[in-house]
Amino acid sequence: MSIEVSGLNKKFGDFVALDDVNVTIPTGQLTALLGPSGGGKSTLLRIIAGLEKADTGTVDIEGVDATNLPAQKRNVGFVFQHYAVFKHMTVAKNVAFGLEIRKRPKDEIAHRVDELLKLVHLSQFAHRLPSQLSGGQRQRMALARALAVEPSVLLLDEPFGALDAKVRKELRDWLRRLHDDVHVTTVFVTHDQEEALEVADEIVVINEGRVEQVGTPDQLYDEPANDFVMSFLGEVTHLGGVSLRPHDIELEVAPSLAGSVEGTVSRLVRIGVEVRLTVLTVDGDAVSVVVTRAHARAQRLEEGSTVWLTPATGATVVPRMAAVV
Amino acid sequence: MTSTEIAAVRPARTPRRSGPRNTLTRSSGLGLGIAMIWFSALVLIPLAAVVVTAADGGWQAFWNTITGPQTAAAIRLTVFTALSVTAVNVVMGPLIAWVLVRDRFWGKSVLEVMIDIPFALPTIVAGLVLLSLYGDADSPLGIDIANERPAVFLAFLFVTLPFVVRMVQPVLEELELDVEEAAASLGASRFTTFRRIILPSLTPAITAGAALSFARGVSEYGSLVLLSGNLPFKTEVTSVRILSSIENDNVVAAASVATVLLAISLAVIVLLDVIQRRVAARG
Repeated sequence: MSIEVSGLNKKFGDFVALDDVNVTIPTGQLTALLGPSGGGKSTLLRIIAGLEKADTGTVDIEGVDATNLPAQKRNVGFVFQHYAVFKHMTVAKNVAFGLEIRKRPKDEIAHRVDELLKLVHLSQFAHRLPSQLSGGQRQRMALARALAVEPSVLLLDEPFGALDAKVRKELRDWLRRLHDDVHVTTVFVTHDQEEALEVADEIVVINEGRVEQVGTPDQLYDEPANDFVMSFLGEVTHLGGVSLRPHDIELEVAPSLAGSVEGTVSRLVRIGVEVRLTVLTVDGDAVSVVVTRAHARAQRLEEGSTVWLTPATGATVVPRMAAVV
Repeated sequence: MTSTEIAAVRPARTPRRSGPRNTLTRSSGLGLGIAMIWFSALVLIPLAAVVVTAADGGWQAFWNTITGPQTAAAIRLTVFTALSVTAVNVVMGPLIAWVLVRDRFWGKSVLEVMIDIPFALPTIVAGLVLLSLYGDADSPLGIDIANERPAVFLAFLFVTLPFVVRMVQPVLEELELDVEEAAASLGASRFTTFRRIILPSLTPAITAGAALSFARGVSEYGSLVLLSGNLPFKTEVTSVRILSSIENDNVVAAASVATVLLAISLAVIVLLDVIQRRVAARG
């Protein structure tokens, strides 16, 4: 196991950033730390990198106790949200920095920098200054710089957070492909569940300083451990005593299934191939339901229709938490 | 030249790619005109007048004036002291700025304000302060450097203190911490990070501060006249020398000394700029 974090606690003044966090991050995988802002995921990443010191607890990297190692000695690559470029150095110099610190021979450095710039598709920009690059290019340069020192783990703190949606999506795909080539153990922090589900092999959901669940994207989506994980990973609605996804509700115009709940369609919006309904049930719930357009047409659904709702067989269902409405 | 001729000449210049292109519109042209008149009236014409006055007596008179033993000693003292004070400021300035920006301590805001005192204080008051502290036989510190060369050094140091600090401080505040963290995670020690990442970013500010500090040192008068005693060959600086030339009705001699100072200041500013470019480019 590549990174082993146990019993981590961290407070900033009165604010509890991490509360007894235990996580194991597997070697060679792409792991996402997912959670809302201020939930402690960045703090965890920074503690792994040695940029922040935990109050208690230990960090092992590749079997070595790194708890008291300074950042310089941990051999981790770190990529920052706002790129953290060395403004006065060219792209090539930025990438070479870690190797120069390690006093590698000049020709070896030049060769490796060439190789890395090719990897991140920045070869033609080697002699530019970072200020002449776009945000996406700067982040790719930062990634090459972090990879140059052949880190045992690569840590990315909201790496695409400062980029616009299109570039974000491109870089996300590109990171996935890059990881398939390079295979370095990678951990990235994100608050975007789509990004995590799409890119990561494994996701660690962190909220209010605690680990809520660890699992593959499928596991998290299909078997969420609790209401929080479920609602964070996708849209959730409440029917009777349970939380479930809007597309996991069976909708009929005549009651035929046991335990179905009667309601009235109060709102109907068509978005492409799907139809989104808000149904006011006789129990007083406002339930979101998603059905296909064909289904809606076949049932002649319109605002004011009386319908019966049942959780679909095989639906992901979580008992509803009292606090969540 | 008629306007048609101008129009014919213009297009030939446009294909030139490199170099700044003329971006003046009618209103910005007016702005430039006003700026130039202002600058000329306040700076260029008086400076030219000084040089012209210096040239009045011919080259030989000029040379004799500035190589006269008393004047030469004053120039040497002034330039040498201004240079050493600047060297001290280049080290101390960033250090003080660092403390002000990066550290949190009690009384910081007071210190912040105090840094500017040498700016704000009338220089003669500064001179008086220095005299009572360092120039009295029964000085509370037991230090008496009145009429000694260190008095000049001390006075220069006092009045030039804020320059580098105030130039470096805003730049240091703008530096992103994650850049230093990035360097650390790449294996750079604190010292290496400072030398290769922080210092190059501060260099332009340090250079600008150093230039100001040197210029102020060379021109200083008020703060040192009391403490230094203005002894010829010992503690007499050029500004005092210029004043005494004027008092002796020798305007040409005063202008000659002024011209030398002008040339030296220009040389130092250019030199600092060259050094700054070198350091910034080294990375």
